[in-house]
Amino acid sequence: MGRTIVVTAGKGGVGKTTVTANLGALLTKLGNKVVVVDMDIGLRNLDVVMGLENRVVYNIMDVSDGKCKINQALVRDKTLPGLFLLPASQIHTKKDINIDKIVEIISIIENSFDYILLDSPAGIEKGFESASAPAKEALIVVTPDVSSVRDADRVIGILENRGILAISLIVNRYDINLVNRKKMLNADSVVDILGLDLIGMIPEDKSVIESTNKGELLVNYANGSPANKAFENISRRIEGEDVPFLNFNSQRRGIFSLFRRR
Amino acid sequence: MNLFRTPKGTSAIAEERLKLILVQDRSLLPPAKFEQMKEDIVDIMSNYFDFNTADIVINIQRESKKTLLEAIIPLLSVKRKTR
Repeated sequence: MGRTIVVTAGKGGVGKTTVTANLGALLTKLGNKVVVVDMDIGLRNLDVVMGLENRVVYNIMDVSDGKCKINQALVRDKTLPGLFLLPASQIHTKKDINIDKIVEIISIIENSFDYILLDSPAGIEKGFESASAPAKEALIVVTPDVSSVRDADRVIGILENRGILAISLIVNRYDINLVNRKKMLNADSVVDILGLDLIGMIPEDKSVIESTNKGELLVNYANGSPANKAFENISRRIEGEDVPFLNFNSQRRGIFSLFRRR
Repeated sequence: MNLFRTPKGTSAIAEERLKLILVQDRSLLPPAKFEQMKEDIVDIMSNYFDFNTADIVINIQRESKKTLLEAIIPLLSVKRKTR
């Protein structure tokens, strides 16, 4: 029986899709069979981030409408055996979603995968509702800014009301230099304010943008990058391993960085 | 640019603003919860006072730096034997 986890945020543009793709990849690397599901019906992007856009034939709405079997809609990853994508439809809108059907489809998939990661759309409307309805756990992605944390707080409240209590926090695009100079919210403050367990911080890292430009997973494009290391640690923590947190301070560049201004 | 004057950090401002915003956001109870809270208050108060439930007014108000819960309960009498 697989674990179904929704990756959500409230606010758009904080990195839900990138997190879903790369966590999916690293959980696969750890020996799991993983499916990442694009729940952003009408605005699909997970296929593009993974570089699988040319392989998409069917999508989750086709499965829901009975036009194909689940297996026909699953897209195998180019490089990682064991990683699959269930794409969103590009021609439907969120109004067309049948939430009961989606829950049913995911519960069938749970029988043959270890992890099902649901990439939620932004917002708290039907798209988010259908992405979180099948999930038993949630990963909240925030960037260290007021709007993102505020929206996350709202989403956490909604998830808790629905009975999803296993919620962990990912702080994305974390810039330790800015934090050290007191120009960016500290991850500890974010954790304190939201009252969730922190499962990892992902540093601001240009290799993330570069890998998505190329449609490659970070683990293939920049295996040794700080962001990939962070994703690896998060996936190990999801697996239950007790992984110490990265010491971002090691990235400080000595006394001269004190005088460097952006 | 003065190299020796450390610029004032803005992260503390962000944190303070966030905390205030969230107190306000979180105090916005959905209607069902609000009614439930009202009933709970009535339950507790009725151990000590006599009053007409219909007279009770409960509001959540925002002011610039705080959020207030205001309850107006006109009392008819004090109960002699409190539980």
